[in-house]
Amino acid sequence: MRREAFVRGVGAVSSLGLDWPSTAEALARGESAVARVEHFDVEGFPCQVAAPVRGIAEGAEDRRREFALRAAREAWAQAGLEAAPERVGVFIGAESGRASYSTVLALAQAAGGGARFDHGAFGQRARELAPRIDAAAVSPAAVASMLAGEFRARGPCETLSLACSSGAAAIAEGVRAIRRSEVDVALCGGVGADVDPLMLAGFGLLGALSARGVSCPFDAHRDGFVVGEGAAMVVLAAERGNARASVAGVGRSLDAWHLTAPDPEGEGAAMAMRAALREAKLEAVDCVQAHGTSTQLNDEVEAQALRRVLGSRLAQAHVSSVKGALGHWIAGAGALGLLCALHALERGEILPTAGLRHPDPRCELPHVQGTALRKRVDSALVNAFAFGGANTSLVVVRA
Amino acid sequence: MRPVAVVAASAVSARGLGWRGLGQALRTGTSAATPCEALGGILAAQVPALPAAQDVEPRQRKLMSRGARLSCVAARQLFQEMPSLPREETGFFLGVGASGGAVEELEAMLEGSFSEAHFDVGRFGTAGLNACNPLFAFQLMNNYTLCHAAIREGLRGPNAAIFSRGAGTVLALAEARYAVASGECETALAGGADSALHPVTWAELRRDGYASVMPGEGAAVLALAPQGTGSSLAILERCEVHPRRQQIDLSLESARRSLIAFNPEVVVLAASSGRGGSAHEIAATVGTGAVLQASEFFGETLAASAALATVVALDLLQEGALRVGVLVAGPDESLGIVGLVREGTS
Repeated sequence: MRREAFVRGVGAVSSLGLDWPSTAEALARGESAVARVEHFDVEGFPCQVAAPVRGIAEGAEDRRREFALRAAREAWAQAGLEAAPERVGVFIGAESGRASYSTVLALAQAAGGGARFDHGAFGQRARELAPRIDAAAVSPAAVASMLAGEFRARGPCETLSLACSSGAAAIAEGVRAIRRSEVDVALCGGVGADVDPLMLAGFGLLGALSARGVSCPFDAHRDGFVVGEGAAMVVLAAERGNARASVAGVGRSLDAWHLTAPDPEGEGAAMAMRAALREAKLEAVDCVQAHGTSTQLNDEVEAQALRRVLGSRLAQAHVSSVKGALGHWIAGAGALGLLCALHALERGEILPTAGLRHPDPRCELPHVQGTALRKRVDSALVNAFAFGGANTSLVVVRA
Repeated sequence: MRPVAVVAASAVSARGLGWRGLGQALRTGTSAATPCEALGGILAAQVPALPAAQDVEPRQRKLMSRGARLSCVAARQLFQEMPSLPREETGFFLGVGASGGAVEELEAMLEGSFSEAHFDVGRFGTAGLNACNPLFAFQLMNNYTLCHAAIREGLRGPNAAIFSRGAGTVLALAEARYAVASGECETALAGGADSALHPVTWAELRRDGYASVMPGEGAAVLALAPQGTGSSLAILERCEVHPRRQQIDLSLESARRSLIAFNPEVVVLAASSGRGGSAHEIAATVGTGAVLQASEFFGETLAASAALATVVALDLLQEGALRVGVLVAGPDESLGIVGLVREGTS
């Protein structure tokens, strides 16, 4: 008999609240945290808005760890579990952190501090440079390692670096580890802390960000995503306890198509959704927490894939994306999606797609607009699709 | 759960392309170290010039980290060796490093960021970033080590890019093995790709106490399938990681017990000389005493080290060994164990 992965606790840090209840309440009211960036000069940047977290970790060397720790403590406290340390695993979706400007400066100086990168000079001076590079601040694995230490977890400690599907992929790994009895408890989730000059300039140069400065998934006027940040964590356990939901299906696929664009047929996305539904033994769900980034092609392809996978059963599902309110958390996005789906199951409240005013006919779906929709939800599908074409879908069901 | 076999493999390392013969080379050879220009001339185990048939096109290279390029080469070589492998629903699980970003792009970025010989933050955010390849960000994102190869080879199945400094790649092997064993996919590629020849990576290694390490680079990929579905090179009997974050002695002891229980004739050791002492001690007390040092041969290849050591183990099985263990102790402070056995002996 297959071991189940029951959801025992959740936690989040977002730009709408420093815990999950306050975040969910603000999302349900249709609030948005997207605003002009004030904490650094964005003059000349292709996109000048974002959804930064305020009130914690300001000036911290590694904001990822601050966000993740706070969200994980919330989830862990709610779970109230006791387990042998070697039976607790940590599975985190995270990308590299950002080197501070002082590190960049040190790099430049070590390379000669002039107009050309001097390999010889760099090699000779790297020994002096080494202490100035805060590896913990830039290593993807620093978040998972820190959480393992904090919660005395001595089981597997994994860092998934799959760009925008990292958080969902980390949860998939946690579910798998419980099923194959490697762990009894899995602390899983994702974190992104990307509202900084490098990412705003980098994604902006790629043309991925909204020039209008609006995040409006599935809207006819969408023109790109808005960078957001935060952490979403979940504690999964093999023991049911007081859980009201479980992760019943996991599906993963690759587009094998293009570096930045999704397969226009949406077959990769559809494969991940089908696999997750098949594993959950479901053909329909009551709601879909879409990836919904607010970019032209991604939203259209996701909508098309959803229509193909769910067919006539799509009518009974309601679809929403919270990126209109919180921006795109990149490595944290999929984990945030899972928390929204769990909220729908436990509270009977599907959070709305903020910013969606004029649904694009090419993205025709049963959208949730304005404020939250009250409805009994027994099952939900969560999507997370990454740059490079790595897709993860999760299915959660009432326990 | 179905037993899982290794049905094909590929590797690219300082020894060039291929995995056959690496066992013998490790027994008798010395490292192919050459001065590395990017690291100021220190000796490093660098991958030699690659044949065009496997290498990526120059235009594509600008979009890739070195690790991504090496993973592409290893994947291409695997399919050339075994073209009958299916692609559409094949899984792909890779240990990946964070060693991205061509130095030339960094150079352009820094060049654009200077104002009167001083580094200027304002220019860095505008002229600096504008001066480099707009896709520079994608050289830095770790998942592209996996995605480039998936796009090139048309792999569309379940996947994971697990950040690795050594033992993380054993987690990728374990996840691939489970995906095949559980029926999530019928075949899966698993391995690792990385380069420690990046100036920043090398500086980090020195900072972390690996001053005596010889940096290296490489990639290796194994193709896994259910036992009995094709010609088997070995059975992947064991894949596990023993974390070393706390209570190090306990973790070492559990790794030692596991390796003794596996009872290998030979242990292939992928452990950096800087801090691999405990792993060396374990390897020396297990099995028949034959220990081959992979890290001194390939250099410290980080996310590739476990995979390269595993293809050495695979080669030893083809030479006649029955049970070969791999012990990995990279800079990520965890111990990884892989156990391969010849079919019919488990």
